Formats: sequence, structure tokens, C-alpha cells
Amino acid sequence: MLNLVFLIPLLPLTGFLILGSLNNRLPKTIVSFVGCGTVLGSFVIVLTLLSGTLSGTITSATISYFDWIYAGDLNLKMSFLIDPLSVLMMTIITGVGFLIHVYSAGYMHEDSGFVRYFAFLNLFVFSMLLLVMGSNYVVMFAGWEGVGLCSYLLIGFWFKKDAYNDAAQKAFVMNRIGDLGFLLGMILIFTTFGSLDYDDVFKNATSVLTENSGVAIAITLLLFIGATGKSAQIPLYTWLPDAMAGPTPVSALIHAATMVTAGIYMVVRSNILYSLAPFTLDVILAIGLATALFAASMGLFQNDIKKVLAYSTVSQLGYMFFALGLGAFSAGMFHVTTHAFFKALLFLGAGSVIHALHHEQDIRNMGGLSKKLPITFLTFLTATLAIAGIPPFAGFFSKDEILAAAYERSPVLWALGLAGALMTTFYMFRLLFVTFFGTFRGTDEQKHHLHESPLVMTIPLMVLALLSIIGGFIGVPEVLGGSNFLKNFLSSVIIPYGEKHEHLSHSTEWILMTTSTLAVIATIIMAYVIFVVKKSVPAEDNKISGLQKLIYNKYYVDEIYDTLFSKPVTFLSKIFHSVVESKIVDATVNAVGKAVSASSKILRLSQSGNISYYLYVMVIGIILILFINNIL
Amino acid sequence: MSESIQQYIPIAMQFLVASGFVITTIVASWLLGPKVKTLHKLDTFESGLQPVGNARMQFSIKYFLVATIFVLFDVEVIFFYPWAVNFREFIQEGFEGFGKMLLFMAPVLIGFFYVIKKGALEWD
Amino acid sequence: MSKLKENFNDKKMTAVIILSCLGIVSMLADIFSYKKALWYIVLAGVAGAIVANLNEKSNAIIYDMLLTDNYAIWFSTLILALVLLWFMVSKDQYESGVYNSSDNYALILFATVGALILTSFSDLTMMFLGIEILSIPLFILAGSNKKDVSSNEASLKYFLAGAFASGILLFGITFIYGSTGTFKLDKIADWANAAGSNLPALFYTGILLVMVGLAFKVSAAPFHFWTPDVYQGSPMFVTAFMATIVKGAAFAGFFRLFYTSFTSASGSWALILSILIAATILTGNIIAVYQSSVKRMLAYSSIAQAGYILLTVLLSNQEAKYALLLYIASYGVSTITAFTVLYHVEKIKGTDTFESFTSLSQTHPLLSVVMTIAMLSLAGIPPTIGFFAKFYLFSSVLKSNTSYLWLIMVSVAGSLVSVYYYFRVIIAMYGQHEPIISSEKKQIPAFYNVLLLLLVCVIIILGMMPDVLMSIDNL
Repeated sequence: MLNLVFLIPLLPLTGFLILGSLNNRLPKTIVSFVGCGTVLGSFVIVLTLLSGTLSGTITSATISYFDWIYAGDLNLKMSFLIDPLSVLMMTIITGVGFLIHVYSAGYMHEDSGFVRYFAFLNLFVFSMLLLVMGSNYVVMFAGWEGVGLCSYLLIGFWFKKDAYNDAAQKAFVMNRIGDLGFLLGMILIFTTFGSLDYDDVFKNATSVLTENSGVAIAITLLLFIGATGKSAQIPLYTWLPDAMAGPTPVSALIHAATMVTAGIYMVVRSNILYSLAPFTLDVILAIGLATALFAASMGLFQNDIKKVLAYSTVSQLGYMFFALGLGAFSAGMFHVTTHAFFKALLFLGAGSVIHALHHEQDIRNMGGLSKKLPITFLTFLTATLAIAGIPPFAGFFSKDEILAAAYERSPVLWALGLAGALMTTFYMFRLLFVTFFGTFRGTDEQKHHLHESPLVMTIPLMVLALLSIIGGFIGVPEVLGGSNFLKNFLSSVIIPYGEKHEHLSHSTEWILMTTSTLAVIATIIMAYVIFVVKKSVPAEDNKISGLQKLIYNKYYVDEIYDTLFSKPVTFLSKIFHSVVESKIVDATVNAVGKAVSASSKILRLSQSGNISYYLYVMVIGIILILFINNIL
Repeated sequence: MSESIQQYIPIAMQFLVASGFVITTIVASWLLGPKVKTLHKLDTFESGLQPVGNARMQFSIKYFLVATIFVLFDVEVIFFYPWAVNFREFIQEGFEGFGKMLLFMAPVLIGFFYVIKKGALEWD
Repeated sequence: MSKLKENFNDKKMTAVIILSCLGIVSMLADIFSYKKALWYIVLAGVAGAIVANLNEKSNAIIYDMLLTDNYAIWFSTLILALVLLWFMVSKDQYESGVYNSSDNYALILFATVGALILTSFSDLTMMFLGIEILSIPLFILAGSNKKDVSSNEASLKYFLAGAFASGILLFGITFIYGSTGTFKLDKIADWANAAGSNLPALFYTGILLVMVGLAFKVSAAPFHFWTPDVYQGSPMFVTAFMATIVKGAAFAGFFRLFYTSFTSASGSWALILSILIAATILTGNIIAVYQSSVKRMLAYSSIAQAGYILLTVLLSNQEAKYALLLYIASYGVSTITAFTVLYHVEKIKGTDTFESFTSLSQTHPLLSVVMTIAMLSLAGIPPTIGFFAKFYLFSSVLKSNTSYLWLIMVSVAGSLVSVYYYFRVIIAMYGQHEPIISSEKKQIPAFYNVLLLLLVCVIIILGMMPDVLMSIDNL
């Protein structure tokens, strides 16, 4: 079982190499087969690993392949760690990844960059697998950078539009800021532990680091900065909404289901370090909660179907960090899993709508699509119910677990979490109602061409819808007669944290659950009244004002960043360019070059071609040598 | 340091005396000797014969080639002398000395063969 | 007879014997008309010599004149490997009919015998003999293109300057003999150790004169003047032979002598040598900048590289041996590759100027790639072997003696300058686009394509895994 592990990342890499090198010489059918087939192959192998971990034959296995970097004290192996956590992530990546690959075969069929698209997508899957499979921080970092690169390439996939390139650059730069934190964290780990292997670091963590010591806080905070970049948390979240410039399946795979959860994976992977730094956990808690609320509020008034989903993703990621900050690592992972299902589904559904409307993304120009796109509508509805947290859909269980953990800490946190959930419910149903209910508000031509997407796109939708319904059952809490299977599954990787808090009694949990469910249903009804009964449509851009305008313009955060960071840096850059670069650096470099060639011009005259002159110089040389030697 | 330089004082004196003697005699003969300038005196000395033509004429390169080859084999033959002198002792120890000389002879003969075959000894 | 047999059974000097016989066989090829098979015979013979050399009995003392320690065996192997490579790449030049291959091959083989002696001598007289056996065939080879005036000029200049240097070298050896009373390297070392710091002027003057003689052979400044003229005038592959194998052997001998005998007296020569090194690196690199002929540029670059290699002699410790082996291997393979490409370019375009490389990438993409890799390796840029050789050399100098920091700074500055002229070739090949004249499309034989690819692989693979050479025990 374990001897095939190397194939898991290797297959997508092969796919990338084949597609990347042959580019446009292959027919599209073969391209789709290679693109999807390699990921399917990996998925099948991952499934065998999953069955192995479920049955307990694999608990934690490190497989080394070769010495990657061997320099001085640093000995890094290219090795993979197979344990429940990485297998869970691998299952999500290859499973959801495969579905999205299949979907893409339909969605991107008419695009001229079809092969390039699949090559990048395969490369992404490879990097993501590397990220979760690595058994040391450097392999993880390699994957981390790899997914960043793929994200950049795919956001700017339609590179002929300047705005898309800008979005790609923004994502890249924001991620680089985070990566720097990650890198510094890694260096600090190496100087503290003398190793970057998970094994060495985690085993010695408790003996090397004392709780809440400066080093522990520094390491965890630096790593968390990396996570805020990759997982779009305050203050580095602004790239994710812009990242919607990429093709929709890319948004589903990279900017919803997998890559953005890398930060959460990393924190969960390092949970031993984090549990030694409660201060950092509090920071994560604050930032996670703030992001969840802030992003949810921005989602309330967006009119671009993908932007709504993007803010929703940021908000949900904030939720996950909220869970991590509470020390509920397995709850965080649970939400990662369910979120992967329903958010991928939402994006793919949105993609299906966009596909049907020929790249129309403004919900004000939609409406009444439920009859024309029945499958899309039903699956989208499923996902919306799941994200809102209606039992027994997947989101309910994971969200409930997070809220329960919040209540254990403090009822105020619970209330804030619930507020976020209600906002989520509201904007998601707003989106659903405005898009699928009422009458069609687009052009006649669009109306004429309205069509349900082909099977290759709807089948992944249906599979994901099924998963959004049943996905929650892997973590049914005890109070509902379950055994919280996922928590036990991950128990070997995640050490229990926060045992000092008392567990909630079953009756409290029942009350919390009922309250939140009722509040969610009330919100849905409110949305229904506003958008279906009253048939109100979001206003035109120029007619909004006040708070709504502030929110619609995303609190002007981009503009603030621009004035605070971009403009001063641009100013400095201009000074450096015009003064330091051209007047000092260039001048010095040119002077050196000129001096060398001038001396060359003179020195080469010493080569006269006259042999007696050569011998004469040699004799002078000998005399000089003897002379120097005698006076020294 | 100073000691080692003192060691060389006799050599330096020898050097001075030698060069002094040469310089003195040359200068003295130049000063003291009678100066007669005739046409014959400035002529090229050609074993008492009447000189014919210019001394700076072109030689055939073959001349140098043959001369070089002669010197080469001449030197190699010299190696036979010590061997021949000691031959009586070699023969008492068996054929080793003889064998070694054959080993020496072989390359010399190969070289000779090469020279002949290359036509180095053909004058035309 | 029994003693001879004994020697042979003991596997002593077999490589030298094989090469000498091979030289004679090659000499006679013309007469017995097996010239066509000669190339194959020579190749097989040299390959056999490599095998014999690897099987050489280690640490054998031969007539108190040669010592086949690990150093001797591995440097001989390296030199023989380079010779084998040389015979492969130079095939085309000797098939052109301008040169008499049987005589030329014989001279090369005899020179190689000298090179082998230079790696293994344990006596000053053997060192001198080795140098002369190495040099004399080269005086002739330099002039082997009889109808070319510059080739004749090269031969004469090389001969005159070489004779002069040999005189200085002998002078130095005499001084050393005069003060120590022995020619044996180990005895000289013992004597110098016993003398301690109180060394007579005769002895260290001798060392300096020997150093000058050897510096001439490796073309260190200010004894380098013969190099550009001789390298440029000689036939292409004779130059390649001089720049790689002769230089490598001279360095092996230089290092062997100074490491074995003169380390304890290093106070008297280290400073002079470091000045020579700095002068060599600066002169070679700076003059190379202004050349218009690639061949002449390579001549100056070989002077500069000699400066770097001399750092190992300055170091004279165990680590320096590895640095030397690595550097000679790196420099040898890269230079032979560069000369091979240059030969073909000259054959196609008729000249060896930088202009002849213009837009070569369009007509001969393979040649361009190979030349690029060779230039990168000579400039010391990863992932080539040249990078690692330079890196290892500089780092081992700094590791053992930080007071040579200034010298390393000079070396690095020199390397930076060298990037300029090595990249001139690359820029010429890829930078400009000129209309292609149909005659320039002449392709080179497939045999060379394979060979060049192989060389590139060696340069890159050794660059990635230099451990192959570093893992030799007790060099």
C-alpha cells in the first residue's frame, strides 16, 4: 500500500509534464483524459491509503525517497508523512480535485488555452499534494510556493486583460508577504530545534519550548503570518476577492476547496507548537473571528455572483481559524472538509450559471433561472442549505461543533459566531433568491440561449451535492447519538487542548443547536420576504449610499492599503530609481567596466610578439623575485 | 646570512681575477699591438685558399638532418662502452645483462629503421 | 631478466611502458601502412593504459626514482582520461590530411609518458626528465602545420622560451642539490625540517628558481608571454593538448614537489607565490577582455585559470590535493569541449574570431548549447563542474588560512571579469540575428554530435555530483 505513495504526487506531475511539453499538439479529448486521469489515479491510491488509515493498519508512516538538501547541519530528505491528517487532506484534494477537473473539461471546452489550463491545474494538484504530504517544513514550503505559483498563473489565466494580470500580481504579492513570515518561522524553528522534520520538532517541542515563551510565540506567530497570506485572513485577505478573475473551476478548486485551506492545515499540523503558545491562539481567535464577521458583512451587498462567494470563503476561512484559536483543531479540520464540498459546489454552480449566461456575473441581470437550470438550481440550493447550517446538511455539524467550542469559552464568542453565521445565511439566500427566483432580467439574447450545462458539468455538481448532504455525518457529535468519528480519527495527530474548560452538558448543547437553527431559519424567511415576496433587486451602483455604499466598496480597504503602503513605496522606488540606481550604482558599475577594458587595452600591448623582449621581461621578473625575497 | 656571503668571497675573487685578466690582456694587446690594415687581413679565412663567393649562402636542410642523426646515434653508441667494459661480469650472472642491452638496442634499431624508411638519409 | 619480469609482475610502471610501446607502434604506422587502423589502436592502447594504471601497485618505489602513491595513480588516471578524450575529439583534424597522424600521435603519446612521470616522480632528476619528455615533442607539435608561418613561429618561440626556462629550472635544482646534497624529495624535506627556520640563501634561492621554471611551464605571470603567441599559432588540437594535459601534468608536478619537499620552508616562497598568483589572475583576465580571436581569448583565460590552480600549491595541504584534482578535471574537460567547438566553427566559418560565432544558434543549435555550457563551466557558474571546482578551491583556501582573504578577493574579482569575455561568446551566438548564408549550414559529423553531448553530460553531471572525485581515499 505504502509503496505506491510516490505515485500520488508523481501522476499529476507527469500529467503536467506531458501537457506542458506537448501543448497544442494534442486533441482536446486526450488532454481531458490525461488531465483528469492522472488525478483520478492519485485519488484511487489515496483511497487505498484512506482505507488503511481507517482500518488502523497505517497510523503514521514516514517514507523517505532521497536526500534533497545536504549541507552542513542541514539534512533534508524528500520524504512523505502518511497519517490521518495528511490522508484526509489528500482525499479532499484528489477527490474534489478530480470532480473539478471533470467539470473543467466541459467548462473550458471552448477556450483556446485548454491544454495550458489543464497543465496548470495538474501542476497545482501536484504542488498541493506536496504541501500536505511532506514530512518536514521545507517540503511543505516547496508545495506552498508551488500552489502560490499555480494560483498566480491561473488567476491571470486570461492574461490578455490587464485587470486580470493585476489581480494575479496582487495575489502573488500578498502571498509573498505571508510567505516571508512562514520562511522566517521555518528559520526560527531550525535555529531552535536544529531540524525541520516534523518528527524531531514535535517530539522535542515540549522539552525545548516552555509554554508561552517568547520563542514559541515568535515561531507560531510567524507561521501564522504565512497562514494569513495563503488563507486570506485580515490583513492579507484582499487578494482573494480579486482572484475571482480566474476561470470559475479554478476559484472552486484553488480559492475555495484546497489551497486557501493550506494555512489551516499548517496550523493543525503544528498544533503541538500552537498549544504551547496560548497567546498566539488568542491572536488567531481574534483575527479569525474578525475576518469571519468583517468578510460576511462585505458579502451582504455584493452583486457579482463570484464576489459574494469569495467573501463567503474569506468569512468561512475566518470561521475555521476561529475554531483553531479556540483550540478546537479537529473542528477546524471538520469545517475544512465540509466547506470543501459545499463551497466547491457553490462555485461550480455559479460557474454553470455563468456558462449558461455567456459570462454574465452580475446577479442583477439574472433571476428566474430555477426552471431553465433545474439541476444547477437544486444542487446550488443544497449547498446553500449546507453553508447556512440547516440540519442534516454537512455545514450544520461542523458549524455546530465550532459554535459549541466557542460557547465553552464564552457565550459572547458564541453570540458573535452566530451573528456571522446569520449574515452568511442572509447573503447566501439573497444570492439564491435573486439568481434563481423571480423573472429573468437579462437581455433577450441571453434568454434565448439559456441552457442547462452538459452532463460532464452537472455530474460533478450532483456528486458534490450528495457529499454536501452526507458529508457532515463523519462528525456527528455525541449529543446527537454520534461518536464524533473525525475527532477520533485525527486524535493521533492532534493533541487535546483546552481540557481545562468544562464540557458542555447535553442539555446546553441541545439548546444552542436549536437556537442557532431557529435563528438561521428566521433569517432565511427574512431573505425570502425581501427578495421573493417583495421582489426587490439590489440597486444600481450609483444609487447606493451611506453604510451600504461603504460596505459595497469593501470598506475602502484596498484604497487604504494603497495609500498606506503602495504609494510611499512607489515614491521611494522612484527616488531610488532616479537617484541611487542611475547616478550611483550604474555609474560605479560602468566605471569599473570601463576601467577594466581600458587597462586591458593598455596591458595587451605588453604582448609585442618579440621573443627576445619576452625573455628580457622574464629575466627582470626573476631578478625582482630574488630581490623581493631578500629584502623581505 | 653574513656568514654564507663570506663563504663566497673566494669565488668572487676568482671571478674578479679571471675577468680582470681577460680584460687586461685584450685591452693591452689592442693598445700595444701594431695596427696593420690590408685587404687580405679582412678577408674570410678559408683554409688558406682563395675565398669564393659569399659565406652567407643557403645550405640544404638535409645537411642538418644528417648531422643531427649522426650525433644522436653517436651518443647512443657511447652507452655501449661502459656495458662492454663490464660485460665479463654480466656474463657470470647469466643472460640478464645481455637481455637488457637487447632491450636498449631494440628502440635504437627501430629508430634507425624509421629514419631509413622515412628517407631521411636519402640525399636527393 | 628476472628482475625485469619481477617489475612487470609487480604491475609497476605498466602504463608508462604501454604508452612508450604505443608511441613506437604509432611511429611505424606510416611505414607498415596501417594508418587507417591507427586511431583505433591508439584508443585501445590508451584505454588499456588507464586500466593498467588503476591496477598499478600502490606505494611502490621504482628504482628510488618514482613513487606510485594514490596521488600519482589518480592524477595519472585523470591525465590519461583527458588524453583519451583528446584522441577522440581530435580525430577530424588528423584525418584532414594536413598533418601526418602517425608522427603526431607518436609525439603526443611520448609527451603523455612525460606527463605520467611528472605525476609520480620522487627525485628531482626524474622531474626534470619528465618535463623535458613532455616539452620536446610539443616544440615539434607546435610547428606541425609546416606550411603555416604562424605555426612555425609558435614552434620557435616555444622552443626558445622553453629552453630558457629549463635552464632556470636546472639552475634551481643545482642550488638545491648544492645545499642539501640530495635529489630525493623526501630527503630534501627531511633536510629542510632539520634546518628549521635557519635556511641558507642557496636553498631558498634554489626553490625560487625552480618555482620560476615551473611557473613558466604553467604560464604564470610574468612568465606567461610565450603562451598567447604559441597557443594561437599552434594547430587547434595541439593547443588544446597544451592547455589541458600539459598544464595539468605540470601542475601535478609542481604541487607534488612543493607539497612533498618545501612545505616546511614555505616562509621563503609563499609570499612570492601569492604575488605571482595575483599578477597571473589579473593579467590573464584583464588582457582577455580585449581579444578579438576566441582562440587567443582562451589562451589568456588559460593563464588566468593557471592563477587559480596555483592557489592549491600555495595551500599545499591534504585538502588542496582534492581541489587540484577537481580543478584540473573541470578545467580540462571544459577546455577540451570549448576547443572542439571552436575547431568546428573555424572549419565552417574560416576564422576563429568572436564574429564567427554570430548567430551560431540558428545554424548550429547543438554547437551553441555545448559552447554555452563549456563557457559557463569555465566562468564557474552552476550547475556545471566549473562552479564546484572554483567554490571548493576558494573555500578550502579560506578554511586553512584566512590571511589569504585578499588573494581570494582578487580571484573572485578576476572571475567576475572572466564572466564578461566568456559571455561575449554566448551573446554572439544567441544575441544577434544575421541572415544565414547557405554555406554556413554545413553540419558536423554525427560522431561529434554524440561526443559533444557526452562532454556536456560529464560537465553537468560532475557539477551535480562532485562527490565522485571527492570520495577518493588518501589522495
